[in-house]
Amino acid sequence: MSPDRDFAVRSRIFRLILILLFLVLLVNLFIMMGPKSSEYKGQALENRQVRFRVRAPRGRVADRQGVILADNLFIADITLPATCLGADGPDSTLTRLMDWFGLPPAETQARLINQKEKGRGRLVLVGNATMPQIAAVEERGRQLPGVRVEARARRRYQYGSLFAHLIGYVGEVGQADLDTTGSFLGYRQGDFIGKQGIEATFEDVLRGTPGRKLEEVNASGRIVGRGTVWVPEVQPGRDVVLSISLNLQNALAEAIGQRVACGVAMSVTSGEVLAAFSNPSFDPNLMTVGISADQWNAWISDPAKPFFNRVIHATYPPGSLYKPVTSLAGLSLGLVDTATELEPCLGGWNFGDRYFRCWKHSGHGRVDHLEAMVHSCDTFYYQLGLMMDIDQLAAAARAFGLGRATTDIFPDEAPGNIPDTDWYNDRFGERGWTRGVLLNNAIGQGEILVTPLQMSLFAARLASGGRTPDPVFVISPPQAERTVEPLPFDPRHLAWCREAMLQVVVRGSGINAALDSIPVAGKTGTAQNPHGEDHAWFMGFAPADKPEVALVLLVENGGGGGAEAAPVAKAWLEAYFADPNRLAPAVSGRATAFATGETP
Amino acid sequence: MTWVGFLIPPGDKKIFFAWLGLCLFGLAILWSVTEPIQGPYKELDPVVAKSIFYRQIVWLIVGYGALLITARLPLRYLDNIAIPFFLTALVLLIAILAIGPTIAGSKRWFVLGPLRVQPSELAKVAFILVMANLLTRSTEEGRGLSATFGTFLVMAVTMMLVLREPDLGTSLVFLAVWVGMVFWFGIPGILLVGAGSAALSAVVNFYSERVVEQAWPWAVYLLLVVAVLYVARIGIVSKVTLLFINIVTGIGIPFFWDKLQPYQQERILTFFDPGRDAFGSGYQAIQSRVAIGSGGMFGTHYLQGTQKGLAFLPERHTDFIFSVVGEELGLLGAMCLLALFMVILMQGVHHGTIARHPFARFMAIGVVTYFAFHVVVNVGITTGLLPVTGLPLPLISYGGSNLLTSSLLIGLLLNVSSRTFDD
Repeated sequence: MSPDRDFAVRSRIFRLILILLFLVLLVNLFIMMGPKSSEYKGQALENRQVRFRVRAPRGRVADRQGVILADNLFIADITLPATCLGADGPDSTLTRLMDWFGLPPAETQARLINQKEKGRGRLVLVGNATMPQIAAVEERGRQLPGVRVEARARRRYQYGSLFAHLIGYVGEVGQADLDTTGSFLGYRQGDFIGKQGIEATFEDVLRGTPGRKLEEVNASGRIVGRGTVWVPEVQPGRDVVLSISLNLQNALAEAIGQRVACGVAMSVTSGEVLAAFSNPSFDPNLMTVGISADQWNAWISDPAKPFFNRVIHATYPPGSLYKPVTSLAGLSLGLVDTATELEPCLGGWNFGDRYFRCWKHSGHGRVDHLEAMVHSCDTFYYQLGLMMDIDQLAAAARAFGLGRATTDIFPDEAPGNIPDTDWYNDRFGERGWTRGVLLNNAIGQGEILVTPLQMSLFAARLASGGRTPDPVFVISPPQAERTVEPLPFDPRHLAWCREAMLQVVVRGSGINAALDSIPVAGKTGTAQNPHGEDHAWFMGFAPADKPEVALVLLVENGGGGGAEAAPVAKAWLEAYFADPNRLAPAVSGRATAFATGETP
Repeated sequence: MTWVGFLIPPGDKKIFFAWLGLCLFGLAILWSVTEPIQGPYKELDPVVAKSIFYRQIVWLIVGYGALLITARLPLRYLDNIAIPFFLTALVLLIAILAIGPTIAGSKRWFVLGPLRVQPSELAKVAFILVMANLLTRSTEEGRGLSATFGTFLVMAVTMMLVLREPDLGTSLVFLAVWVGMVFWFGIPGILLVGAGSAALSAVVNFYSERVVEQAWPWAVYLLLVVAVLYVARIGIVSKVTLLFINIVTGIGIPFFWDKLQPYQQERILTFFDPGRDAFGSGYQAIQSRVAIGSGGMFGTHYLQGTQKGLAFLPERHTDFIFSVVGEELGLLGAMCLLALFMVILMQGVHHGTIARHPFARFMAIGVVTYFAFHVVVNVGITTGLLPVTGLPLPLISYGGSNLLTSSLLIGLLLNVSSRTFDD
């Protein structure tokens, strides 16, 4: 091969290599920008579009007049991307912010690292920022890539402990929930969820649906787009209207004062609960913001159990409050009539080898049925109880709604206990008990247990002749109507019972509940408590001749019902009859109806 | 010669207008990089300062002047100054290692007032000249293999100095130019095959050891080599030598690997698996591909690229400027750009082939190799074909030293082409 030819070949090879190299570039470019282009376009879009999940504002809770009891307070957080704190310490932005806000670097970093480990997307540097802090960030945003001021809603319970047991509280959704059904239901880390009470029961109504916001950002995460696209838009939560009246609830709490006690008042006609308070209570606002360990321990170790809603969770023997049940059972069975006299009360009654005492150890002497009820003569009721069998007595009690949960608003409501033959057989064996239990049952002791809520329904049904439906706590969203089983008692007997209860307040043990202008009917009770001082009961309704409202009060370890519970009832009834809106129907419950709602 | 006549350099007008076209193309892209993005966005700081656009214009004027001069210098004169010029460049390369300031972790620049001068750019010109000089002598004196090895030493020294800065991309330019020019000189085919297969062996063994961490890819490769050698019609000595070279480079690559800077190791590993460091050195590669790919056929239109305008694309005014071309002007724009380079390369090979004087031939092919290497590697990096290493796109990327060097080299090419016409 001549040198020239050789050179020509090399020249051709050189050209060929250049062309081949450029062809490789071109083919690769063609593939990237042709068939694969849409994939890259998607990635470019993903780069600059950030989807923000926007939490729905939680629905509010209002009282029957539309006064807001629980709403949302909007607060601002200053947040940073998680990348601001790397393995080699804070970046310049974080360092600058800590300097501006005077945050102690070591503690702040420890706090942020803790947040990072919890796996949040962004780190909250300052929670509930002040206006100067927000202004500082907004003004100097250019020097602070990725730093944002993010609005966040915090639950606010306007009346704190007054509604803590009823409304409950919200808390951050737990990791356990997220791992199971929570994320399926659309919850994300940091979302709030109802933990107790109405907040929990009406979670689906209150929570709303979070929206998604598309924003365009630059490489440092700063929002640069002019427009915001929502897919989908936020659906705010709907409001819940309670049957409770703020004014009457307040009156109840004031009447109870410092006592360890609870009370329930309900409308005799509608079954709407107007007030339900259990003392001591707690401040639910502290539960939503992260309570201190000290406060938590104080509540948990308090023997008066502030988290315990006595209205629905506590069960007590009804004591003498039960006597109308025994009377009505005896009357309906024809065992006695309204004027029957039994053996005189000499301070007790012998059954077998046991002597059952009347509360009045000196005895009531000769009493008829009415006087026995008015003065709560145990001896009379021992005799009356022994005339029937245990199932007949239990049936009379159940007709009023005792022995079962009365509402589905509070899923953990205690059902109480109305014992019958089966129950005793289960408990003690068929031969393990005698008719002697009837003596205790007839005066509301022994194994009978009731909640204050059940007793208020009992009082209301006595007052209405059985027309009161099961207790209603929520007006809106509308709840399914409950059918009311008519009482299996003669209306004349019920009327007699009401008359007897009027006499109790006029001249009997309930005289401390009497009002000056309004006739009040009632019954006092003293539930024997094997663990300590007796519990004081009062149940009643007013006005006695045309009942509007039924009320039950229980003072734990209070002693005698007439002395301890009746005055509290009186105080509340005075407030009730002083309230001009007491008979006003509840608001319809739409958010627009909350004209009076913006209370401080 | 009139004024206007002076401004039009002698020689191949295709090359001159391709150069002019590329320079204007580059200025247009730089303008876009320094403008706020257009679209549904708030007025955004483009981050890359507008001043670099004006600086680039100044450098272009300087480069144009250099081009006008080098296009007219007598070849004899260039041949004569080649060796002293190269020695000066070597001294500068040593000096920068000794007394140069460390900027961003490397010693690449001398700072002269507002200017940063990169001696390695100057060395590229000097290297092409000295290679042409040495190879011309070897041609005239009828030397063969000894010229190859002699120039190899010259190349290796230069390359090592630049590698120490460290600047891997630039150091490879010397290797590439040497390969191109020695090939032009006439290197035995067996040597090229040997070098090529050695490089391949190194890459495959690296892949085996560091990427998949299993021996089979390299084993398969060696078996393939043995099979090819078995059927090849070459002497037994050549066969054994080839096999030996393959084994030695394969085994030697881990030692070379340990000599690399950690960031270079990381970049190479990331090249094989960009996801391993999606926010570090893989970030540039990923964002660059996204920018180019999302451009599609016609691009997002001038000034409207989001990868560029929202600053997702790093180094968008320098090494990754081709990604902006791809994003905003699409496949069409990228092809136009490559076509302009192709004009220079093809015309360059043409003049390198027909030039009468060997010095002119070698110089032309040196310049062609320089441009080819820069363009192929830069575009290869931005499109993800090659691992990320810093290498500008000549005449397009911002940077005075490179624009000056590239224009000056174009001037040399024009000089060669003018001889083929009127020498």
